[in-house]
Amino acid sequence: MNTIRTIIVEDEKPARDLLKAYLTDFPAIEIVGEYDNGFDGLKAINEAKPDAIFLDVQMPKLTGFELLEVLDHQPEVIFTTAFDQYAIQAFEQNAVDYLLKPFSRERFGEALSKLRSRLDKTSGSPGGKSAIEKIRIHLAEGEEKLHRVVIKKSGKIHVISTNDINFVEAQDDYVMIYADEGKYLKQQTMKYFENHLDSEQFVRVHRSYIVNISCIERIEPYEKTNFILILKDGNKVPVSRSGMQALKSNLDF
Amino acid sequence: MSHPITGKRRSILIYSFVWLLIAVLQGVIYLYFEEFSIGVIIADPLISNFLFGILGLLAWYPTRYIPFQKQTPVYSLVAHLAAAMLVLFTWLLLSVGILNGVFTQNVDYIAFLNRSLAFRGMLGALVYLVLVLVYYLTSSAQKLQERARQEERLKNLVRETELSMLKSQINPHFLFNSLNSISSLTMSSPDEARDMIIRLSDFLRYSLKHRENEFVTLQEEIGHMKDYLSIEKIRFGEKLCYEFSINGACESFPVPTMIFQPLFENAIKHSVYESTEPVTIQFDCFPENDVMKTVISNNYDPSVPSRRGTGVGLQNVKQRIDLVYEGQGSVHWKGTDGNFEVTILFPRIFTKR
Repeated sequence: MNTIRTIIVEDEKPARDLLKAYLTDFPAIEIVGEYDNGFDGLKAINEAKPDAIFLDVQMPKLTGFELLEVLDHQPEVIFTTAFDQYAIQAFEQNAVDYLLKPFSRERFGEALSKLRSRLDKTSGSPGGKSAIEKIRIHLAEGEEKLHRVVIKKSGKIHVISTNDINFVEAQDDYVMIYADEGKYLKQQTMKYFENHLDSEQFVRVHRSYIVNISCIERIEPYEKTNFILILKDGNKVPVSRSGMQALKSNLDF
Repeated sequence: MSHPITGKRRSILIYSFVWLLIAVLQGVIYLYFEEFSIGVIIADPLISNFLFGILGLLAWYPTRYIPFQKQTPVYSLVAHLAAAMLVLFTWLLLSVGILNGVFTQNVDYIAFLNRSLAFRGMLGALVYLVLVLVYYLTSSAQKLQERARQEERLKNLVRETELSMLKSQINPHFLFNSLNSISSLTMSSPDEARDMIIRLSDFLRYSLKHRENEFVTLQEEIGHMKDYLSIEKIRFGEKLCYEFSINGACESFPVPTMIFQPLFENAIKHSVYESTEPVTIQFDCFPENDVMKTVISNNYDPSVPSRRGTGVGLQNVKQRIDLVYEGQGSVHWKGTDGNFEVTILFPRIFTKR
């Protein structure tokens, strides 16, 4: 039996100790590292490329979900968290397992046998979406409002508050996010941002543009029937007819 | 409060119908007991009753603006009498004047009209009295209804606050994460695990025992907060530090139970959860002039964009202080340069209720 290389990303020491104590029953599992925050965990996972990770959701710097979003290497994931609201509905089938704290040794053992069978399968048939791909899709369909966006840019991870986003521009399979500090490319759909950004604050003014209304300097007519937005940072954003309707209803004019 | 008669279409109809009935009755009496022309029999009752009907509507206003409870009886009586005289005088002048003008030729009727003046006045006064009574009845009925509605609204408000208060008392994630820590400690250090179970039990017992409208001494409340922090300390280790500095004079000061809980919870949620550096929560309490001042401050990492909305916990605390001390206490907060600070002023005059 091959050893399974794992990394623990969990901010509470007692919780890490517990995982390690449970893992002593499973000599085939090797712990290659343990980290107490999302940033360090992310770096280590990309470098060490473990087969599986034990991942907490609530962590400093990056949450478990944000970490998954920007990960290069894609290990299997076992969530360990006290938050049941993410788990039960969306993830149980996609992540290898979702352990609700506190969990028993037996329950932990079950998670590990699921992990083993998942790893055996994926090594046999590389086709099909990985668990993380599926989680990404589920994340995209989730209902929660975005408060911040995590972006990978030239090897660095940027965490941007949605308040600092000026506008979002569609670019094929990506979106370009324009913020005060610069622009960032992210693999995500316009639909996702339209659905998850606060609709009080952001309006889709065009097929390819979502604008933070607090960044609008003025609206000018453009050509015969169209309009164009002049933003406070000087950028210009075209407005479609339905975009104008949306703006009107949002700004009340 | 709207006019009870003109305010509703239905009551206008009923009012008009009653007056028409009175007019018809008067006509019938004329028909049987007096020998007037048909013109008089129709015109007199119609004109006099129509005019009284219109003027009678005015009787509402003295009723509305001279509430019994707020004025002395003499004032009310004089005001009502004056209003009644005004209405009756206007009515007699108009109705008798018009009838005199129309039926100048009919000498018998004019004589009757002049003879009946006193009688008409008396009858008018009686009807006026009835109207005023009806108005008072409807207005007090309206007031009762209004009060019942207001009470209902208040009750709902109180219930909602109570519910959110109960919800905010024990955070389930705190509970489950603590249990997970205990589960871990049972293996590595059973003594510490037992200690944590005892502290968690104390914390839960206190949270369940005290209703949100109760007062406890500051000392009790702080003891409870120390239980809470010591449990979190086991989870977060070196990352969480806390210091209490309490002036001896404040220890027995009564405070609303669990009033500091949301503030400590906030400090942990927004700083300890989000930071990799140690966070110190500082609690200071001292008397100042006529109030007791408490300041809770903590450092945080300002570069981390917050993931969740802020302010709900703070608003709750503020609302409670406003409610409990009827506006005499205050809650202020400010966040600058990585330091967040909440100041509460407790008025000294309030004692345990």
